[in-house]
Amino acid sequence: MNMNYAVSYVLMAGVIASLLLLTTGIILLFLNGGSNGFSISSISRTDTHINSSQFPVSAVLSGLSTYQGLDFILLGLMVLIATPVVRVLLSVLIFLYKRNWLYVAITLIVFIDLMVAVFVVPGLLVH
Amino acid sequence: MIIILYFIALLVAGLAAGIIGAMSGLGGGVVVIPVLTLLFGIPLEYAAGASLVATIATSSGAASAYVKDKLANIRIGMSLEVATTLGAIAGSLLAAYVYAHGISSYLFILFGVVLLVSLYPSFKKYRNARRKNEIRDWTTQLFQLSGSYYDKARKRVVRYSGSRWWLGEAVMAVAGLMSGLLGIGSGVLKVMGMDWGMRLPMKVTTATSNFMIGVTAATGSAIYWELGYIQPFIAAPVVVGILIGAYIGSILLDRTRGRNIRMLFLVVLGIVGIEMMLRGFGVA
Repeated sequence: MNMNYAVSYVLMAGVIASLLLLTTGIILLFLNGGSNGFSISSISRTDTHINSSQFPVSAVLSGLSTYQGLDFILLGLMVLIATPVVRVLLSVLIFLYKRNWLYVAITLIVFIDLMVAVFVVPGLLVH
Repeated sequence: MIIILYFIALLVAGLAAGIIGAMSGLGGGVVVIPVLTLLFGIPLEYAAGASLVATIATSSGAASAYVKDKLANIRIGMSLEVATTLGAIAGSLLAAYVYAHGISSYLFILFGVVLLVSLYPSFKKYRNARRKNEIRDWTTQLFQLSGSYYDKARKRVVRYSGSRWWLGEAVMAVAGLMSGLLGIGSGVLKVMGMDWGMRLPMKVTTATSNFMIGVTAATGSAIYWELGYIQPFIAAPVVVGILIGAYIGSILLDRTRGRNIRMLFLVVLGIVGIEMMLRGFGVA
């Protein structure tokens, strides 16, 4: 299988999955007139304090079963952020397969940078 | 009822930003942030957060097509992402410092400057699409900066090779920093790094830049998430709008041969850049 096609499909699949989740979340949010115990008017205020920092991955996943619009929207955004991460992992595999060791190393460095941003830096930030 | 109208307005803002971003070549982020802050009165951090995640969507969508056509060079892209991701981490931490200290007016000024500087290559492009004289150096060999693509217009395979990898890497560090600091894709800066810095052909440069933006923006977005800069009610319509708008824009770009409409967008964006600076100085 052509490697470029694999990368291409991963990117497209991520964007489409995200779009579907965002659309579902938006519809649920308006149908229910709110989400996660917040009213839609408090969610939509420009200076609202309802934002991503209150929604870690575990909380978002558990909110899906009760059709909370915000959880669907935030999962859609998480899928979007995860798409390039999956793409980088796939690139590691591609370079391994091609035995291009320099690029296996370079791609792993990029992957580590991403993991630092996802897991290490948030832990260092003081709220 | 008013809330649903407000939501549709956000969607339309994203749509317009996507179209203008694609047709001007600047990307949706740099267009949508002034609209959200100046027109909607949304705080800069929420505007930047929505823009940054939207940037991942448009970049991934465009890169998907470019990778299939082999226009984007995965090796060159990956090697430069080392610098863009580190820059993005530094940039988003700097943004956290700026917002925590309530000095976001500096970011408005910087945003205006970056927007105006980004316009320069777009104006210049009209005068000459020059052919670069290729230079090979030790980085060409070591980092395997060569490749080929099929040029549909000229109906032949074009071979190319880049050089001065270190210069590209240095420009990418700045591009990553701006991306994390301002919530934009920094596509213009990335293109400059590869075009002027590494002497790569323009088609490869723009495609590879799109390919890279997703990873850079994902790095910044992960940190923005924890900082709470991503507001779902703003981000959702902006992402959907920009994605659809960018798609429409790319089709319109193929059809409209006239440069007038592009020129009009560039002039409007120039005014927007000045508006952002004035806002930063507290005038507007």
